[in-house]
Amino acid sequence: MIVWLEDQKIRHYTIDDRQKLRDITSLEWPKTFEKYCNDVDCPITKNEIDQLEWFIGYAIRLEFEDDCQKYQQVVGSKAKDKKEVKVPSIKSTNPLDNLDFDSDAFKNGVNSIAKLLNVPKHSDHLITLQACSKLVCNKLNEDAIKQFNSVAKSKSLTKTIIGPSFNMGDTMLDNAAKGLSLLYIQDLRNLQTKINETIVAAQNITANPKTDIKLGKVGR
Amino acid sequence: MVVRQYQEELKYLEKINECCWRIKKGFQPNMKVEGVFYVNNTLERLMFDELHNACRPGAIGGFLPGMKQIANVAALPGNMAAFDMDDPKSIISPGGVGFDINCGVRLLRTNLFESDVLPIKEQLAQSMFDHIPVGVGSKGIIPMNAQDLEEALEMGMDWSLREGYIWAEDKEHCEEYGRMLNADPSKVSMRAKKRGLPQLGTLGAGNHYAEIQVVDEIYDKWAACKMGIEEKGQICVMIHSGSRGFGHQVATDALVQMEKAMKRDNIEVNDRQLACAHIKSQEGQDYLKAMAAAANFAWVNRSSMTFLSRQAFAKQFNSSPDDLDMHVIYDVSHNVAKIEEHLVEGKQKTLLVHRKGSTRAFPPHHPLIPVDYQLIGQPVLIGGTMGTCSYVLTGTEQGMKETFGSTCHGAGRALSRAKSRRNLDYMQVLEKLEQLGISIRVASPKLVMEEAPESYKNVTDVVNTCHAAGISKKCIKLRPIAVIKG
Repeated sequence: MIVWLEDQKIRHYTIDDRQKLRDITSLEWPKTFEKYCNDVDCPITKNEIDQLEWFIGYAIRLEFEDDCQKYQQVVGSKAKDKKEVKVPSIKSTNPLDNLDFDSDAFKNGVNSIAKLLNVPKHSDHLITLQACSKLVCNKLNEDAIKQFNSVAKSKSLTKTIIGPSFNMGDTMLDNAAKGLSLLYIQDLRNLQTKINETIVAAQNITANPKTDIKLGKVGR
Repeated sequence: MVVRQYQEELKYLEKINECCWRIKKGFQPNMKVEGVFYVNNTLERLMFDELHNACRPGAIGGFLPGMKQIANVAALPGNMAAFDMDDPKSIISPGGVGFDINCGVRLLRTNLFESDVLPIKEQLAQSMFDHIPVGVGSKGIIPMNAQDLEEALEMGMDWSLREGYIWAEDKEHCEEYGRMLNADPSKVSMRAKKRGLPQLGTLGAGNHYAEIQVVDEIYDKWAACKMGIEEKGQICVMIHSGSRGFGHQVATDALVQMEKAMKRDNIEVNDRQLACAHIKSQEGQDYLKAMAAAANFAWVNRSSMTFLSRQAFAKQFNSSPDDLDMHVIYDVSHNVAKIEEHLVEGKQKTLLVHRKGSTRAFPPHHPLIPVDYQLIGQPVLIGGTMGTCSYVLTGTEQGMKETFGSTCHGAGRALSRAKSRRNLDYMQVLEKLEQLGISIRVASPKLVMEEAPESYKNVTDVVNTCHAAGISKKCIKLRPIAVIKG
């Protein structure tokens, strides 16, 4: 297996150097394997199964890197469908990993997005970016925009804000507690929705409700 | 029972405030803690009349006066009905849970209004009656075998979910999420299982019912909105049922075991029905596991009836239950013992809370209530009797402090069953219900008299007391238009 991986996918050694590794029947092989592990920087030394898993993962990664462009197109098009990414500059420089997150240009970009979205700036621009992405995901997809229009008209928004009441003798503290608890409830709601979705998915496989009128009997 | 004059009895009672009384130690022998009860003026008179009657020389009371009953519970070793789990002397009592384990009420909402339902009210009532078998000895229409029952006992509403009888949201809106995890079907006798198997999906007799109700009044608009009740006139379905013969057999079996344990461990109680055992003892543990299985049975039972009512409505309106928005608002348990965390004198303690004929009522922000009700507090469903109103309340912070998060569960009897049968005529009762515009389907006329509105205390008085005492808050009032009973 290891030999196949090296031959076909990993190709760490040149073809001539692989001779020793290919000779799996020799007594030397465990040693050779150890050396090979060192050469490819495998972090696992004890468990063989874990080692094998690492090698497979490594091979997949290499394979992916080779065909990076192809895969990214697939992922990219999916992402496009899911949410309207409003910032074309990021989309065009597609291999995101190659971006220099600390460059001034990037920071400026983030700041201008934040300005556009009315997100308060944080000293760490990465956190600001996170806030922006959250806002884009939650508020700027089609559903949310539709919903926002209806919510704005109904009274429920203001009502929720009155919701929980704390009385700790400090209005600031009370408001902070209120905000926190509302956020917490929202988190819980999302979690519960996901749980429900999972249950429904499982139900699609298992459910088979039956009734049989003949069994029924009215008592005295 | 101690025999004293009425005037002497009164010395043991003390009024704490407008609607709250305390029973002092000594009222009944062996009382370990003081008892507390909540009444308003009307109920106060009723309670004292009961006591007065029982004190008259030579009189034989229909039943033990309510106050004496409370005092007997207080005579159990430990706290009133909440026992400290860490105290080795703490006990569990099957009588403190009741025979109909996890008897409870479930409320479904619909998006229909009174005007949609009135033209086909009779057909709808008949359809419900056809789907949900009622009465003593009735059998359900959901096919089950012994293996199914074992699984259902262990899994509770998860079983109903797996088999596709209910929706994922139903589980979310149910006490304990419809499953007690410590249930162990192997601790349940064969006899109980034999009794329970054919009864799944049946309503039972006695005070159990399924009702089609109309929203009559909304007291707390915001909370009602959170429950999906928008306007007066909206139609709801209330199901009141329990664990049928199964729970009864589990309790009976446990009482026998407990009596042995009491002799061995030298525990004394005033009433044989309150036999108990130490929580940590084998009998106590076995009962807890069997009780949990019975509780699961009751949830599966109510879930099956939820499924059947949805089918009945869907057929009558040629629509799907989804389109009728027939969501479960909540499901409360009346007769159950649960391990809960409570603050006792400022300290957090793990307690075994017995609730018999009372409903859990947790305040807003309690971690054990569904996320949708985090802001308004747990919905508390108070069922009426045929012809009287039902209420939805919400739990409060004050109730959490004073009553371990508990409140009333319904009206309670005012006349004993025998007395109702003697005093009332069932034709008259039926006529009266017809005048009120209530369709009724019953299996036995005897029951009509026993369960007539006159046989019960006024549920409005009971609810108003709880509201005034602050242990729960009024939210919605419901009026029945069709009743299905055993």
